[in-house]
Amino acid sequence: MTLNTNMLKNLQSSLRPCVSAPLREKRSASLTLIIFAIVLANPLAAQRQDTTKLPSGVRLRVTYQQMTRPKVAVRPFGGATTAGSLAEQVTTIIKNDLDFSDRFVISDIMPEKLSGTGTPDFKAWNSMGIVYLLTGEVAPASAGYLLHVVLWDVVYGTGKQAMTYSLPAATSPDFRLMVHRVSDDVVKWATGQQGMAASRIVYRHKAGTGDELVIIDSDGQGSHRFFANDMLIYSPTWSPDGQRIAYAQQTGRGWQLVERDVHTGNVKIITSRNDFILTPAYSPDGRHLAFALWTGQGTEIDDYDAVQRCCMRRISKNPRDDISPTYSPDGTQMAFMSNRIGQPHIYVMPANGGDPTLVSPYVYGEPGYYTSPDWSPIGNRIAFHGRSKGEFQIMTADPTRPGSEVQQITSSGRNEDPSWAPDGRHLVFTGVREGGTGLYVMDVETGRLRPLVLGGRYTIADWSPSLKPNSEVR
Amino acid sequence: MMRRSVLMLTLAAAALSACHKKKPPEVVPPRAEAPPAAPRVNEDSIRRAQMRQDSIRRAEAAAEAMREGSARARATLEQTVYFDYDQADLRADAKAALDAKLGILRASPGVNVRIEGNTDERGSVEYNLALGMRRASASKEYLTGFGLDGGRFETVSYGEERPVDMGHDESAWARNRRADFRITSGGDNVRTGQ
Repeated sequence: MTLNTNMLKNLQSSLRPCVSAPLREKRSASLTLIIFAIVLANPLAAQRQDTTKLPSGVRLRVTYQQMTRPKVAVRPFGGATTAGSLAEQVTTIIKNDLDFSDRFVISDIMPEKLSGTGTPDFKAWNSMGIVYLLTGEVAPASAGYLLHVVLWDVVYGTGKQAMTYSLPAATSPDFRLMVHRVSDDVVKWATGQQGMAASRIVYRHKAGTGDELVIIDSDGQGSHRFFANDMLIYSPTWSPDGQRIAYAQQTGRGWQLVERDVHTGNVKIITSRNDFILTPAYSPDGRHLAFALWTGQGTEIDDYDAVQRCCMRRISKNPRDDISPTYSPDGTQMAFMSNRIGQPHIYVMPANGGDPTLVSPYVYGEPGYYTSPDWSPIGNRIAFHGRSKGEFQIMTADPTRPGSEVQQITSSGRNEDPSWAPDGRHLVFTGVREGGTGLYVMDVETGRLRPLVLGGRYTIADWSPSLKPNSEVR
Repeated sequence: MMRRSVLMLTLAAAALSACHKKKPPEVVPPRAEAPPAAPRVNEDSIRRAQMRQDSIRRAEAAAEAMREGSARARATLEQTVYFDYDQADLRADAKAALDAKLGILRASPGVNVRIEGNTDERGSVEYNLALGMRRASASKEYLTGFGLDGGRFETVSYGEERPVDMGHDESAWARNRRADFRITSGGDNVRTGQ
């Protein structure tokens, strides 16, 4: 399993074209313009302590794709007097969601004469450069409310899509989630693609002497404590159906790997050990749970049968550490971190164990440090963090092209531990940046960054899959 | 048997040497004034009382020396060992610190120790827990490599969770990349290794 010298040499030579390429611009056929700055690594000047250059094989993504983002206006939703303030609340949530989707330019201008209800004045909206207009009406219903929304195609002057939703009372835990689902539908109508508004993020907060797990909506609102422990908690991760969160917790006697139901709080203990357990990850079909555990010499990865609830099996082996498993979307492969060659690197292997392939850039004689992989739920991209110019930055790599095309996504401050949103284009990560310390969300397509929660010791975030309201699940 | 007699000799030697270099014994405050002794008091009984006092003083001084030596030994035993970035290999200064513990641990067979591995704040939170564990294990393996019983050492990792320096620069990080040593039992019986 250990890489031999020949493999390393091959790897090195396969990296070389990428390293020695001069500064170049790449222009694709469409309006898309991608500029990669390739910082030359002069092998003669290569020193272990040199922190001024990018690691070989890493490209800094200076300018992001400038995709054409259609201009969207959200007209204040109408509502009868009893539903009036609720309509305002719903409008705000959806407008923020559409903004945070990073697929539109949201118009902030709302002329008085256009803010009324009824069929829009397409000509007036068109003259403002608006491509899509969203309107809505909230009406009280027997239980909760009915929300009717229409997405208008301003350019062609027609309704593009309309839908009526039933909303629970604003005090219901499902209320915001239901509104987020409306936002995701709007994204789908306008772009044909999966959004991420109806999702949540679980993270660890170090509160005093203990740890707690907190769940927060994708828009940074509605945070609430999920679980608290007076000892350590590690590695919360969502099940593929969004119904459970698995995590490792320290107890008075050792460590436990547990699953906790998001809605009921019911707990199932998967395994208990004297030494630590870390980084559980569900397979996309939910049938397997892979996790790392201390074996006495190092950390290895075990596979647990989550259906029969048994049959733990070692699927990685080396004298050092294997940790942080993450499944490919089809469940056939697994990325993980290993320091088998003396530095932490990202590898991919068959999901049930086998020979690993190196994914992160290894250059003989140069220091490398790449950890915390997370495989995109929709495609061939693995996010992780790596050391660049002396700091940790978020990077992504294409596992089908090992050792090449690693893109550095962040370049300011220290950024660690990325987790993909269900849309496969947003990442949440821990940032120690000028704007503050905490969790940030970045769109890897546009490079747009927003703080999710700042001002505390918030780390090891995991982004959920798309979530359904609990009432729909039962 | 052999080990015990060596231990006894060591103890005796420690007590003796302590007697010689000890500062003058404290002045024992005079006892509450008794009425003047009767002229017919037995000279022998006075001498015996004096000898008894001297013996107590000597024993106290020896005990004090033992306590001081023991405190020093405890401090050496609990001295922190430091590591390089992303490394669990023992540096020369780490080995020297462990060598100093070695003699004490040999001389104090009833003393058990918990070794707590720690890392700086940078890098993967989870990988740092593993790294802390390897630092604790490397320290333990070094000591057991000299024949000490592995059962005397408990190893744990706190990863990056328990920094001693909350700073965000290299000097803070260097102080946080460490293995701490805590005496878990036998703390009253720590003997100097000499």
